[in-house]
Amino acid sequence: MAKLKLALYWAGACGGCDVAVLDVNEKILDVANLADIVFWPIALDFKYHHVEAMPDKSIDVCLFNGCIRSSEQEHIAKMLRAKSKVLVSFGSCACFGGIPALANLTTRAEIMERAYIEAPSNENPNKTLPQIKVSVPEGELTLPELFEDVLTLAQVVPVEYFVPGCPPTVDLILKVVNALATNSLPPVGAIIASEKSLCDECDRKKEKKMISKIYRTHEIIPDAERCLLEQGLLCMGAATRGGCGALCVKVNIPCRGCFGPPPGVKDQGAKLISSIASIYETKDEKDIARMVDEVADPAGTFYRFGMSDSMLKRKRVQGK
Amino acid sequence: MPLLKKMLAQFGVEDKRVRLDWVSASEGERFASIVNDMTEQVRALGPFSRTDGGKHG
Amino acid sequence: MKKVTIDPITRLEGHGKIEIFLNDDGSVANTYFQIPELRGFEKFCEGRPVEEMPRIVPRICGV
Repeated sequence: MAKLKLALYWAGACGGCDVAVLDVNEKILDVANLADIVFWPIALDFKYHHVEAMPDKSIDVCLFNGCIRSSEQEHIAKMLRAKSKVLVSFGSCACFGGIPALANLTTRAEIMERAYIEAPSNENPNKTLPQIKVSVPEGELTLPELFEDVLTLAQVVPVEYFVPGCPPTVDLILKVVNALATNSLPPVGAIIASEKSLCDECDRKKEKKMISKIYRTHEIIPDAERCLLEQGLLCMGAATRGGCGALCVKVNIPCRGCFGPPPGVKDQGAKLISSIASIYETKDEKDIARMVDEVADPAGTFYRFGMSDSMLKRKRVQGK
Repeated sequence: MPLLKKMLAQFGVEDKRVRLDWVSASEGERFASIVNDMTEQVRALGPFSRTDGGKHG
Repeated sequence: MKKVTIDPITRLEGHGKIEIFLNDDGSVANTYFQIPELRGFEKFCEGRPVEEMPRIVPRICGV
């Protein structure tokens, strides 16, 4: 079989997904045997003009991680879509928005203001902000336009497969590599993880399941054997797709939902609110109010990774 | 509901835009009065728009 | 003035672009290094619970 042409790209990303691919350790040699990597900024020195010159659909598979929040990221997403036979939305940012999508709880203006002007470590007396076009003595410089909203890859181009995770686990990555090697990819549109929620994978003992107090994670040291939700910690596992091996829960911290909503659930945050509210033991209004207070940051916790993929998508931007 | 409202507030959705009531099929008058109340409440708040202009701000 | 663009810079974490302006004799007149990305951690971490920071800020850089 001729070697596959493989491309990997990062948009609004942190590099974690690229490093996760390298985490397959010696199996990277299997990947090298299977494919010629034609574009991978973290590891190889191919430029955008190399990709531009490729014929359409000449890349067999492109693993695209990172969210879309600038005109350049959108442009490269469209370019790689055109040049690739199969485009994989790789990692939570590309699939659901990821952590960078928490920026949808603020505004572009506020972000620019904070990052370039207000931040204590800045030295910017002229309050200069990045511009899309600027003239310098030698010529002109350009920068991409930052979008107001953080978008998922699929909100910008059609995508064949989704591999969730922050980052996707090595097991999952090897599953994808194997499917490519044996030409046995699932039907188009598949999310390559488990078809059940995390609770299914989690070994902890589930007993009473009703709670009368919600704790923030620093307030208690949980029992390592019992269900975290039952102990009053906000574990998102109830409305999160499994497939990660319950890694976080295994080290005694509650799940934060990086694998996105489980099958059949459209909005992860809404499902989480519903799941958690349904296990409140009390019907007393004062107790309920207290327990609502105990949830420190509903929007940022229930949509930690899935803001762009949610129904509301962002905080309202109110006209000034 | 209180949990949902707390979260919606973080999204900029005012408390008065969300309401949950249980009304049986036989409570016609009560249904009408609740709908009228809610309509007036939301009208007073004005139209809701998520963004000023979408991805390009 | 001739311009040489290096885009993207590679084999490190992050996005970057380098524009090199050349004089007629081929010597470098000036070079500009630009960062074409911003995610806004400095802002969107505000309002999040402090104990969640160790689960949010490692996503600044996964390398």
